[in-house]
Amino acid sequence: MAKALQVRNLSFQYKGTDKKVLNSFNFDVEKGEFLAIMGPSGAGKTTFISTLNGLIPHLIDGKLEGEVIVDGWNTKEHETRDFATKVGMVFQDFETQLFSTNVTLEVAFGPENLALSPGEILRRVRESLRSVGLEGFEEREPATLSGGEKQRLAIASVLAMESNLLCLDEPTSELDPMGKDDIFAIARRLKESKSITMVMVEHNIEEVLGADRIILIKGGNIIAMAPPETILREVDLLRETGIRPIPITELFVRCRSKYLPLTLREGLESFRKEGWGIDEARYLSLIERDSLRASRYGRVLIEVRGLEYAYEGGLAALKGIDLQIREGEFVAIVGQNGSGKTTLIKHFNGLLIPTKGEVRIEGVDVRQSDILQLAGKIGFVFQNPDHQIFAERVIDEVSFGPRNFGFPEEGIAERVDRALAAVDLLDLTEADPFSLTKAERQRLAVASVLALAPKVIVLDEPTTGMDYQESIKMMKLVQELNKRGHTIVMVTHTMWVVSHYAHRVIVMKDGKMIRDGKTRQILSDLDGLREASLKPQQMVEFGRALGDFAFLSLEECRKCLVP
Amino acid sequence: MNFYFYLDKKTPIHRLDPRTKLFLLISSFIVATIQHHPIFALIVAMPIFAHGLLSGSLSNIRRIIGLLVAIGILAVLLWSIQAKGVTPLFWKFQVEPLLYGISAGIKIDSMIVAGIIFLSTTKNEEVAIGLVKLGLPYSFSFAFCTALRLAPTIIGTARMVAQAQKSRGLDLQGGGLLSRMKKYIPLLVPIFLTTLRYTNQLSMALESKGFRAMEKRTFLLEARFKARDYWITLGLLLVLALAIFIRIKGYGEIEGLLL
Repeated sequence: MAKALQVRNLSFQYKGTDKKVLNSFNFDVEKGEFLAIMGPSGAGKTTFISTLNGLIPHLIDGKLEGEVIVDGWNTKEHETRDFATKVGMVFQDFETQLFSTNVTLEVAFGPENLALSPGEILRRVRESLRSVGLEGFEEREPATLSGGEKQRLAIASVLAMESNLLCLDEPTSELDPMGKDDIFAIARRLKESKSITMVMVEHNIEEVLGADRIILIKGGNIIAMAPPETILREVDLLRETGIRPIPITELFVRCRSKYLPLTLREGLESFRKEGWGIDEARYLSLIERDSLRASRYGRVLIEVRGLEYAYEGGLAALKGIDLQIREGEFVAIVGQNGSGKTTLIKHFNGLLIPTKGEVRIEGVDVRQSDILQLAGKIGFVFQNPDHQIFAERVIDEVSFGPRNFGFPEEGIAERVDRALAAVDLLDLTEADPFSLTKAERQRLAVASVLALAPKVIVLDEPTTGMDYQESIKMMKLVQELNKRGHTIVMVTHTMWVVSHYAHRVIVMKDGKMIRDGKTRQILSDLDGLREASLKPQQMVEFGRALGDFAFLSLEECRKCLVP
Repeated sequence: MNFYFYLDKKTPIHRLDPRTKLFLLISSFIVATIQHHPIFALIVAMPIFAHGLLSGSLSNIRRIIGLLVAIGILAVLLWSIQAKGVTPLFWKFQVEPLLYGISAGIKIDSMIVAGIIFLSTTKNEEVAIGLVKLGLPYSFSFAFCTALRLAPTIIGTARMVAQAQKSRGLDLQGGGLLSRMKKYIPLLVPIFLTTLRYTNQLSMALESKGFRAMEKRTFLLEARFKARDYWITLGLLLVLALAIFIRIKGYGEIEGLLL
């Protein structure tokens, strides 16, 4: 039987660089197999997937050695467009894959290129939309869809080519939890149908449990290739490759158990087999620590009263928000896309002006302040650093804010130094910002806000697109800023980040706040989470199954555990 | 705000062949441009407005009403000052330039409205098919339509970049011309680079979906010239001929106007 994919001594080096990004890859993929590719940022994952339909070497310049053979075709010998019937390619950024004016035409684009008859095109459109659950969306304009729906549409538009090999490059990294689940449900269904071979690049470990094989790559080398049950138990190896291990597995590894569970149920079983217990006194001390921390907050910095906001055209995005944020707090705002999180925080520095109600910063109504005054009090770090980076040197990028304020030059230099030191970029002062990694650029964006020494730092999705190690580094930095007195408000979808770092959680749904409280309380309120379509954290569920404990991290659980 | 104008309706105008709609647009432009007198400009504006009514595009026209009024006023002022006439009106103003200004305002607004109606009634893909049927290569037609599509994306990016830079204290108001131009660099660089990255990824996505894989592709949407398209085309040709005839005969001139 012919293989779906053969990779032979594959190496690649981008034009104008002196290092190989792929180093002698060698493996075969059987028909119907589901292969997951994992690794830290910059490991070569996207580069590898770009070789599978000839984007490398035909569209992306560089030196390709070895062979990639898809269903008997060598990628060197055929153009990318001719591979369209053999390889379906779903890219990470769904925005750049959608260009049609309605859902049907979007899916029809590929089959039209293959010069199929309109009847056949329509059949494929219907079938593809059904496999991604987008029936009834035929006439919708893609721009009006949610992120998850857009990515499902992108997948449908690729499925319509009816190719046997489907490649997905981090298809869920920009989606909210519900959008992620939908995509993985589609992947599972496609796998069960068995006729499709799948290669998926993914950061999230729980999601690749269904894969047949995982390949770990780092620095352009394959460092492991095995079924998930084997790889997911290699906790240290995962951490080294920028992947967050399954918490329950890591807990048992850290406690040197001989049982290594992969799921919650296995975890509870192993816990009983080990005969462990939980020390209630130690758990109570965790709760006391929460309360002590809350008692130390200072005066009210942000006050929101009866805030309503409607976009042009009357669409209500916020429907009556009341909240106070005190000095020293670390607040996470969570909820699905479109629940109003980003709209809310954009009121804190005057980017949006309330339709109704008021927002006061240190007692002053934002309507009475100008953007410059507010920028000095509230630092706002946007989700995508590339929407603000423009300077030729890191140092100029960071000086931009202070210069706008007209600070004296020597003062600026000191501010810039301090900001760059805080984000660990002092070594790169003279570097070109565009040569930095995504994670470094995000830290640079933080530095450029820090240089204004604002009391409050607002972050919109600070860890999007980062691997586990990068996310930890970013969040440790934010935590450190909080300890030094900055108040933190962050919007995020990444629930482990909320659980490990936030003091307080605000849950948004349909423009309203449906929950507001201490992190431990909100994350163990399973009804509230379900209402907002958020998934509970494994350690919280584990604690709840063992008794009335809500562990926010496996370290907390370990502390309370009595062998 | 959505910068995409197409309205998914089933009006008689929507059902026309894209080539007919293109011809409607071009005819509106020509007829509007060649008239001088405000009365004539108004006569031209009325069917264009009726066209908007018939195609259910009024909601889109309402969206840009502020722009239309601003352009109208600007045109009147600009030409009243720029052009010269013979009949004094009051102070420095004269009758002929004023008439010409009013006419120019109506003409420019008519053309914008005609453009908005076209965008409201024609899908991008239809434009592409129309151009292909007129004999242009598909790659060109597709590129043209994608450019139309790109505009809203770029505006969205621009808005995001402006917010990010404002949050760092960028104040676009105030300062002399040079310093104000310098202030736009922090906006232009990220917008340009984001757009570049976008088009680069778009081209890879297109290639991966078999763009230009076949000598000839098919279209799901069909574009066929039907009886009504022939009638409208014929009608438009007559209107064009009449408009040109009137112009050549010299009707509707504003006498004494010096541009």
